[in-house]
Amino acid sequence: MEDVQVVAMLVRRCIAGDAAAWEEIVQTYNRRIYNICYRFAGSGDDAEDLTQEVFIKMYRTLPSYDHTKGAFVTWVTTITRNLLVDHFRKTKQDRMTDSMDSTASEHEDAQPLSEQIQDQSAPPDAHVRRREVSESVHAALAKLSPELREAVILRDLQDMDYREIATVLKVPEGTVKSRINRGRAELGRLLQRTYRQVM
Amino acid sequence: MPDHTSNGMQCSEFDLLLSDVLDGVLTGVQLDRFQAHAGVCKVCGPLLAEAEAGRNWLKGLTEVEPPASLVNNILASTTGVDTQRLRVTVRAPQPHVTWLERVQASLFGYLEPIWATVRQPRFAMSFGMAFFALSVGLTVAGVKPADLRQISLRPAVIRLTYFRTQASVVRYYENIRVVYEVESLARQVKRNVTPAEPGPTRQKDHKNDTTQQPEPKQERNYTQTDNHLILASAPLGPSNRDLPVVSVTTYRRFV
Repeated sequence: MEDVQVVAMLVRRCIAGDAAAWEEIVQTYNRRIYNICYRFAGSGDDAEDLTQEVFIKMYRTLPSYDHTKGAFVTWVTTITRNLLVDHFRKTKQDRMTDSMDSTASEHEDAQPLSEQIQDQSAPPDAHVRRREVSESVHAALAKLSPELREAVILRDLQDMDYREIATVLKVPEGTVKSRINRGRAELGRLLQRTYRQVM
Repeated sequence: MPDHTSNGMQCSEFDLLLSDVLDGVLTGVQLDRFQAHAGVCKVCGPLLAEAEAGRNWLKGLTEVEPPASLVNNILASTTGVDTQRLRVTVRAPQPHVTWLERVQASLFGYLEPIWATVRQPRFAMSFGMAFFALSVGLTVAGVKPADLRQISLRPAVIRLTYFRTQASVVRYYENIRVVYEVESLARQVKRNVTPAEPGPTRQKDHKNDTTQQPEPKQERNYTQTDNHLILASAPLGPSNRDLPVVSVTTYRRFV
């Protein structure tokens, strides 16, 4: 994915104060980090704020990156994941309050996802249909527990291998695989129920 | 997950191999054992189907596009560099606002609170009365709404009206001045023709004075006991030491 030497050189230039090198790093990785944040946090505004925070933290801790210990993208993803977990813990109280305020229960049998999402019946346009499906999957992803969610995001959306994911999540590869399997199965269950109701 | 054994494979082993099967890396005998277990086990069979479905759903998700301003914001918040190049690419087209719209917006900002207060129903009667008074006033003044149609708002006509009004005001002022000058001259002539009259004699006894005019201020500097006048500020001589002390109720003036 990345040439280690090129990235190492880029990092060295950044540490030396080369603004152009930093801009190149931002241009290269902002899309990836934004997507991880968006899929994990579920909202575009939160994702934008979190992406900025990731880059601020990256900018401050760039001298601590050691290219001999791992790929730069793994290091970046680890920073992102740690910030996302912090954000999840910070906003836990808000989410609990929201869930108490809302009429819908988080329980599986309470309200199917199809009732929380707009009507799926016979969309006139394939593009609209695709977009609605995408929104359904995004909403279902937000219903997974954070451990399962981060695992499937890194594997299925970011195409990271199990070893890299294990490094980022700081868990054994077996645990990574188990979480990915459970996450996929949970997502499949949620979406199958949704589309069974629609169809 | 309950650890059952079916076809020589435990459910825990099935769980470990599940991701490899979905990735397509498991082949041969292992794959056969895996599929045999999936066909028999009531837990692992549905798990395989659900995991495969979930993976397919996730693979269908496309990347979202970050906001256009994201890179610029990141650079501004890290290095503080807000590059001109980025600003040009990111800048959104600003709607053109005319000076009239700007004036209207600023006036609206000032007048809105007043208008909100005035709009209350309790002021309806007041406005009705004000309108009635205005219409009566205009009628009395001879202003007719039909006349307003005759008003031309062309710049040349407005300028002409302005100069005419200015000329009439100036003429009126000059006339008034002439009148005052003539009156003043007449008074002066009359004063010169009439012989001088003796000045009015001062009345010492004001008991019967009904004109309600205040006393001349000059007399208030003195303390009066009967007909004997004593200067208030004058040092007391030997002959005046025995004089009775009287209270002064008049204004005090220290010279």
